[in-house]
Amino acid sequence: MSPLRTEEFTINMGPHHPSTHGVCRLILTMDGEKVLKVEPVIGYLHRSIEKICENRTYVQCVPLFDRFEYVTSMSCNMVFSLAVEKLAQIEVPERAEYLRVIMLELNRIASHLLFYGVTAMDIGALTPFLYGLRERELIVDLFEMTCGQRLTYNYIRPGGVSRDIPPEFIPKCREAVKIITEKMSDYEGLLNENPIWKVRNVGIGYLSAEDAIAWGVSGPVARASGVSYDIRKNDPYSIYDRFDFEIPVHHNGDCYDRYLQRLAEIKQSLRIVTQALDGLPEGEIQPKKKINAITFKPPAGEVYARVENSRGELGTYVVSDGTNKPLRVKMRGGSYNQLQALPIMIKDCLIADLVAIFASLDVIMPEVDR
Amino acid sequence: MTHDEIKSYIEKTFGDKLTLLDTGRCEPVFEVKLADWHDVARALRDDQTLQFDYLCNLGGTDTGERLEAHCQLASIKKSHRVDLKVVLDSGNPSLASVRDIWPAANWYEREMWELYGINIEGHDNLTRFLLPDDWDQGHPMRKNWDAPDFVRFPEFNA
Repeated sequence: MSPLRTEEFTINMGPHHPSTHGVCRLILTMDGEKVLKVEPVIGYLHRSIEKICENRTYVQCVPLFDRFEYVTSMSCNMVFSLAVEKLAQIEVPERAEYLRVIMLELNRIASHLLFYGVTAMDIGALTPFLYGLRERELIVDLFEMTCGQRLTYNYIRPGGVSRDIPPEFIPKCREAVKIITEKMSDYEGLLNENPIWKVRNVGIGYLSAEDAIAWGVSGPVARASGVSYDIRKNDPYSIYDRFDFEIPVHHNGDCYDRYLQRLAEIKQSLRIVTQALDGLPEGEIQPKKKINAITFKPPAGEVYARVENSRGELGTYVVSDGTNKPLRVKMRGGSYNQLQALPIMIKDCLIADLVAIFASLDVIMPEVDR
Repeated sequence: MTHDEIKSYIEKTFGDKLTLLDTGRCEPVFEVKLADWHDVARALRDDQTLQFDYLCNLGGTDTGERLEAHCQLASIKKSHRVDLKVVLDSGNPSLASVRDIWPAANWYEREMWELYGINIEGHDNLTRFLLPDDWDQGHPMRKNWDAPDFVRFPEFNA
């Protein structure tokens, strides 16, 4: 009898695969069930936002940033506003800074709750999705109450925020914080010690701290590999230096630690929101010298601003030539580097593990393709 | 290290390979000479005082008159940051790859090659990336790019 013929073969995963969180195509080289090589192919959602920004005034760029990374658009608004404020040396009123921090942290919690739900769903557990989305809804309602939008908020603008919070915001927000704090034990109880969850996640998709740094991986994925680096602490912006919070770090660098890392970050964000609500001062929400959406011209110069969002470092490089439109806007998202580093995490993994690894990176494709 | 310490240290260490372009409003920006780009990049990573081990961002800029490359570096260990800029040769824009220094540069360089038409020396995978596979309409991020009708932007005049 002739021996069984075995050979490597190439298959295509995506672009329309439900677990690729958007439209990402992965070209896999397989040996049976084992993945030998993975090559991400991107660009399916390329909308050329950077080019469109060059044809819009500074204030008109803010809604384009919403569409850059729609799950945490508050951070995207924030990073562009920071860049413009640095360029034009605009002083942001105290109340606006506090409102910004509240919104940024609520958005981070909402994003991590979405991660909690969809990652579990990718692995086959449907209940966490219902839990995560249920509490995310509370936060999305708060955003809707504030700026009228449930996604793509266009709330944080250069100089301040677009409008003040309604009076019922603060009690509702405190209630949401209380509910989410209580539900944390439910989330943990559902998955942390779940044997199926652990088998699917522990030790899968290992990324070392050195590789994380070299590949530009940031945010929760890097911190789950033991890289203790958070822009809120290491390169503080806005008023983050006033709050008392910790940067949780995990050291195993696998999918399970990335999951634990995000849950730990929700708890810290809840702490920040509570402190910001307590310290929220009265006052203006826009600078004294109002920014005209059409005629605003920052002086010529170039700046790179960055913030810590739920997917790592979110940065933007803005070049001004002194006119009312930017000469160049470059966007840098955390997902880009996370996806770029995917091929080094797949050592000895099966095709089902690849789905778990991809989910644990929490990649948002519009952020990668722009 | 503070901004001023970084400025004086880099100027002292690298001397004539770069010049400081400082507006005083933002982080220090250095213009690196095109020929020294790769050497300076490696030295910035390996220098024990600076340790720029993390590449934040790398991309191209078209100012309308010239092509530039911009690069933002950070140090995870030392928590400081620096901005770099390289002015490219307009006739034949080309830049040495820094993939061997920061593997993260891989996709950023592919993007520069595709959207700006900047040749990356030493990059072995310069293939279609963000644009469609059959794209033959030039480099869309160039200022003088003549947009085909299907992607023409409506003019906005203020």
